[in-house]
Amino acid sequence: MSQQTGTIEVENTTSAVSLSHVFKWYPHFSLDDVSLEFPRGTVAGLIGPNGAGKSTTMRIMMGLVTPDKGEVSVLGQPISSQHATSKRDIGYFSEDMRLYKRESIGWHLQFVRSIFPGWDDEYATQLLGRFGLNPDQQVKGLSHGQRVKAVLLLILARRPQLLILDEPTNGLDPVARHEVLTELMRVVEDDQRTILFSSHNTQDIEKLSDSITFIDRGHVIASRGRDEFLDDWRRIRLQAPADWRPPVLPGIRLESHFRSQRVLSFDHFDQTVLDALQTSGATLEGVERMTLEEIFVSCVMRGREEVSI
Amino acid sequence: MNTQAIGILFLKDLYLSRRPLFWYFAAALLCSAMNVIPNPTLSFVGFVMILTVAIGSGMHLLGELLLSEGSEQTRTFILSLPVSLLDYSIAKITVVLTTFLIPWFTMFACSVILTSVLPWGKAGAVPVLVVVFLELLAAYTVQLVTAVISESVGWTIGVMVACNVFLNLFLMILFQNPEVSELMKSSVPIPSPLLLNVIGVEIAIIVVALATAFFMQLRKRDLV
Repeated sequence: MSQQTGTIEVENTTSAVSLSHVFKWYPHFSLDDVSLEFPRGTVAGLIGPNGAGKSTTMRIMMGLVTPDKGEVSVLGQPISSQHATSKRDIGYFSEDMRLYKRESIGWHLQFVRSIFPGWDDEYATQLLGRFGLNPDQQVKGLSHGQRVKAVLLLILARRPQLLILDEPTNGLDPVARHEVLTELMRVVEDDQRTILFSSHNTQDIEKLSDSITFIDRGHVIASRGRDEFLDDWRRIRLQAPADWRPPVLPGIRLESHFRSQRVLSFDHFDQTVLDALQTSGATLEGVERMTLEEIFVSCVMRGREEVSI
Repeated sequence: MNTQAIGILFLKDLYLSRRPLFWYFAAALLCSAMNVIPNPTLSFVGFVMILTVAIGSGMHLLGELLLSEGSEQTRTFILSLPVSLLDYSIAKITVVLTTFLIPWFTMFACSVILTSVLPWGKAGAVPVLVVVFLELLAAYTVQLVTAVISESVGWTIGVMVACNVFLNLFLMILFQNPEVSELMKSSVPIPSPLLLNVIGVEIAIIVVALATAFFMQLRKRDLV
């Protein structure tokens, strides 16, 4: 997997999802030239601040929103509001998705079951137990966590090839979050299934994902394997005189500057970075690994600043 | 087009509206019966109740089946299922129309049959009843197309108000017309060119409104 200006290029040609130069313009927001490709059998995380374009991107993948420009194919088929075939193999969760509040969970199970011939009754019963859901309970009496679990049950029991989950863990208490993530991990054990999962909670993404895409203000700002992110990024603390200027290095960003102490973050960190800093007159104090959240924030801020130091 | 999916969505909405439909059906029977009671006051109350049930059921069903899917965010759930926009639109517009037709047709059929068969009924009023009921249906389809295009409660209510004001003017003009008054006194239905023209216009409005509703729905690019 390699990155080219916001594009993931994958050697594996059997992609689960492919977006090519997708644009969507709204009066106060636009999705600009998003190109992404996720191979089958992987878990991909989409991280972005609120309003970054995660939900729009996922709605485009589901055919709920039509791009103004660009190509979208899901499970090898073009997707649009008029194509329903590929949706048979997609399970889509959205934070703003609601069930019929006056009907019971059991009614919803029967309703979805009537549409999907491959519905797995046994698995549905297992999930009811694991999620602690009562099929006779009306939806309007469910807590947020129960509602999320009920929707996930309706999605998972149809055994879709692709799961598109838009902020599934948002607003969940730690126990419900654990239950949801554990169930998703069980799904991942099947190599043929693909999960695309968005959140602004980097811990959840880090726990599940093979690859991670950062998105901000409608742009893909970085996209690569999770381990590559964690291996490539470092934070460096150093002491430097007041008139010190950091050397021009790719992927460098000044995180903070307090008196003589500087904190820099580096993408694509290696020994040459340390050599360059030492020869620039700075005194190194420490090199630290960064968490995914720190990497994400640094990427977003660097993108917003638009200029490397 | 996936007819199975359309059928499932249609039956789902019919099931979801089963309780109000039962009450609208019962109210339709009651006010139709009242309308033909040989007492001017009760008959007038029955007629007003017919108009009220038609307007009230239309307003409620549009809100419950069409507009609430957007405001209560259940549309995302439905459109995440393997249904295309065409399937969804056919099922939705058909069910919104069908559910309205249940009380409407009950009232229409009861009124026409009772007016024709009861000894004190004037069968000459049947063509006028057809005109009045088609006006109610035409007004409903205009409200439906507004709801489909705007997806807005405000706009739909605005058009409903306009339709109701128009209905009152329409009834006033209709019943003050000397030709119509004469027709209603007749014991046999008489085809009148005036009423046939009005019926033609009403049917045209219904057809154009429904065609526009489908056309506009299928042009939508963003479904949520």
